[in-house]
Amino acid sequence: MTETTILAAYGLLVLLTILLQVLGSLQTLSMGYLMSARDEPREVGRMTARMNRALTNSITAMALFAPAILLLVVQDKTTSTTLLVAQLFLVARIIYLPVYALGVPAIRTLAWLVGFAATAVLYLLAL
Amino acid sequence: MSTELTVLTLAALLQVVQFALYAVPANREVGPGYTMSPRDRAPSRPMSDQTARLGRAFDNHFQGLILFTIAVGVIEMSGQNSGFTGLCAWIYLAARVAYIPAYAKGLRPGRSAIWCAGFLATTLMLLAALV
Repeated sequence: MTETTILAAYGLLVLLTILLQVLGSLQTLSMGYLMSARDEPREVGRMTARMNRALTNSITAMALFAPAILLLVVQDKTTSTTLLVAQLFLVARIIYLPVYALGVPAIRTLAWLVGFAATAVLYLLAL
Repeated sequence: MSTELTVLTLAALLQVVQFALYAVPANREVGPGYTMSPRDRAPSRPMSDQTARLGRAFDNHFQGLILFTIAVGVIEMSGQNSGFTGLCAWIYLAARVAYIPAYAKGLRPGRSAIWCAGFLATTLMLLAALV
């Protein structure tokens, strides 16, 4: 396993999140509305609203994580430490999703913090 | 430059085009006085349905583009470029180009089907990187 594998796995995780968000929306919104141009905004269920926020957050995290991995790989600065930190990021982001969906407060923040700190460490190691 | 990187460059340029497609009519409808303000309140003049659609299409492409960038980055970094990954990249770009008029015209279920094609192409590229 390399940092690149972790990045690919995280990309798939975000794609899965998008899929879950779409499927979850079907609880409160009809397929007909989802396929329409959605000109009038509609109220969504609590779970769907959480998945929307989790998805937005996952994409922000990805936009920061991907360049860090790219910097490490391009500069050939990957080590066992960077791999471990990247793995930590992935685990934290995997935990983040169900914890957000279930509304567990402190653990969600902790998981977010671990992912955030891991990304920051990767940038420092890339310098 | 590989096919995947060429398509990635074109996809990023498409986002620049999408920005213009949204920003030009939005400024005309809402007024530059509002768009240049800190936008604390909703605009007094509403945007047309079609402009709002172009705005949502623009937002949606940010998500798609980030994932596609990762797929291309991973393929390039691990040197796993193949005819298949190149084809997936072109399908992604074609889907994202078609998505814009499909959204503007409110095509149903065409817009969703086109979105799915882009989503699938990205997924297949990422899976191709792992296997």
